[in-house]
Amino acid sequence: MKLKNSHRINGFTLSESLVSLSLSSIVLAAAVASSVSLQKSFNAVDNYFATEMQQVRIIDYLNRDVNRGLSVTTSADLQTVTVTVPNYIIQPGDPEAVADPSLIGTPRAPTVAYTPSGPQVNYGASTSTVVYSISNTSILRTENGAVTTIASSTDQLVPQTTDVELANTEYANASVTFMPILTTAGSPAERTGTSLYATAYLRNKRRS
Amino acid sequence: MRISRRKAEQGNVLICVLCTILIVSLIAGNVLFNCITRSNTASSQVRGWKESIYAAEAGGDLAYAEIRKTILDPTHAFSGWTNLGGVYSNSPVTFGRDSLTTSAAVNVFYNDSNGNPWYRIRVKGSAPVLGLKRATMDDRMGVGTRGDSLLRKIDFNYDHFIATYGPKGDNLLKAIVPVSRPQITRRVELVAAPVTPFEAAIKTLNSFAGPGSAGLVDSYNSNNGPYYFCANNPSDPHYGDSHSGGVELDSANFNLGGAIWGNVTTNGGNVKPSSSIHGTIDNNVPFTVLPYVMPTNLPLPLPSPTTIVDNVTLNPPSAGSVTSPNAYLVSSFSGNLTINQVGTAPTYVAIHSTGDITGSIDAKPNVYVKIFFDRNISLKARDIVNESGIAANLQFYGISPSDPTAIQSIDIAPPGNFAATFYAPSADFQLTGNPDVTGAIVCKTFQGNGNTSWHYDRALDTAGDAIDYRIASYVEDMR
Repeated sequence: MKLKNSHRINGFTLSESLVSLSLSSIVLAAAVASSVSLQKSFNAVDNYFATEMQQVRIIDYLNRDVNRGLSVTTSADLQTVTVTVPNYIIQPGDPEAVADPSLIGTPRAPTVAYTPSGPQVNYGASTSTVVYSISNTSILRTENGAVTTIASSTDQLVPQTTDVELANTEYANASVTFMPILTTAGSPAERTGTSLYATAYLRNKRRS
Repeated sequence: MRISRRKAEQGNVLICVLCTILIVSLIAGNVLFNCITRSNTASSQVRGWKESIYAAEAGGDLAYAEIRKTILDPTHAFSGWTNLGGVYSNSPVTFGRDSLTTSAAVNVFYNDSNGNPWYRIRVKGSAPVLGLKRATMDDRMGVGTRGDSLLRKIDFNYDHFIATYGPKGDNLLKAIVPVSRPQITRRVELVAAPVTPFEAAIKTLNSFAGPGSAGLVDSYNSNNGPYYFCANNPSDPHYGDSHSGGVELDSANFNLGGAIWGNVTTNGGNVKPSSSIHGTIDNNVPFTVLPYVMPTNLPLPLPSPTTIVDNVTLNPPSAGSVTSPNAYLVSSFSGNLTINQVGTAPTYVAIHSTGDITGSIDAKPNVYVKIFFDRNISLKARDIVNESGIAANLQFYGISPSDPTAIQSIDIAPPGNFAATFYAPSADFQLTGNPDVTGAIVCKTFQGNGNTSWHYDRALDTAGDAIDYRIASYVEDMR
């Protein structure tokens, strides 16, 4: 009797099996769905943070160059910025480097020149040019022809810069936005909500 | 028995559900923890990068303050700094909640034609990088493309700059120098340029009265030749230099008679546009002019003369230079002084008069004279003879009395005309008659309501002794 009872106890009826299978499926489906959602959330949050850091990096690069800039100009579409900066470090091919190659990579000493608008501090006879531009999903910084990708994201990073020139000063207003990957139909408000603004003044502005 | 078995089966389902919730929660928690950790790390690095430039700029401010002391408080300038071969440097200064550090090196890299030194300030600032010792979350943007580490250059274990470029960045003395903590160091170079006193035709602190109805204040540029009036002739080639006869007043007490061909600024005045003012008017421009102290960088005075009475002809023993003129210390100046050129060389002379100046002075062409006076000047315009006609060649500096209530005066009576500059921020300046003056003045009060013609020389923009310093250049060493 005990054996028979034990056989009966260890077995499942068809209805029991179906119910348990259904419940298991539901639980498993919920777990899988949760995992997928979490994975997507993780990816979105991770991507958002990463792109936000790239926003900060673009602003930091730009502000650093504008601060030491002699002049800044922006394109009509506000997406290409050209900053003229002092030629502080002696580069290969510069006159000083030709005369003494050991000077390559060393800072120049400043010199003073007198112009109709007053004395100016110069580093070398020429200046360097830094250009910020967009290339597909990347933001490029080009200094004297050397290209550096400073940010790259599929989140459609878009920097925009305006330069404002006043009588005695000049500054550049920059904003960087991106479109988060988890959006609801990509509404403009979602891009606007990611805006990061910055203002940097030219500390070496040349006056005419 | 059946009942108890059923209870066990229900418990299994509950455990399964709880386990599932636990696993899902763990995944979610891990996601959040991971994101927050990475974000904190990146944020900390960004903060360190920004704080390091704040530290560098604070170091620049410390150096700039010392440079300003060379004018305002010379005996205490660079006190406590180390002078090694003309380069002043300070010990690293630690400040702020995050223990930022900064240090600076300062040296003179240029002396201008007035003998004013220009300073080069090289400063570095460091900030700790808190949090995890690793590159930030998105450092690799692609194959071989670095992100934040390319910009922020964190020194986790060693100072990369000293290792790669040497401590001064000149490729010398490269060494592996461990850092006590992860840090970011940024280096900037500033240039402190002298501010010279004559940026306007007439700059006065307490009051302005002048010129008379037939007088004028205008400008020209002596680099283009002698003065002639062209302010009302736009087709004249020097018309552009003729409208810089500005008047700056740091009070509201402004009384105008004749024409001013330049800008007028007051501090709370009520100057309104009129046909007499041919420039812009701004009644809200306060400014500060600090008391003038005797420069300490002049050479020791020559033994004679020590007084100027009767007729004295000065033949300096050498031409001197702008930074090392022939210096004289005289206790009285009531005679007629003539200063000759040494051969054909430009000749530089500095005279410190501790008494009143009531005599006359004749500076020959190519002689550059600075007269520092402790007390008052009272003479006729014809007694100021500057044979070059260039105002910058004859400069008067009024040493501010130590007692701020003491009165210092400069009285110039007719007849005659002259070319000279006056920097006397504590002096009351009175010009009577109808003199024709070429030059510029900084004074406490200005009274010149005769038919004075005052011509500011635009070449004075950069002439004169430094009265302060300003930061003229900013460069960051991005390596």
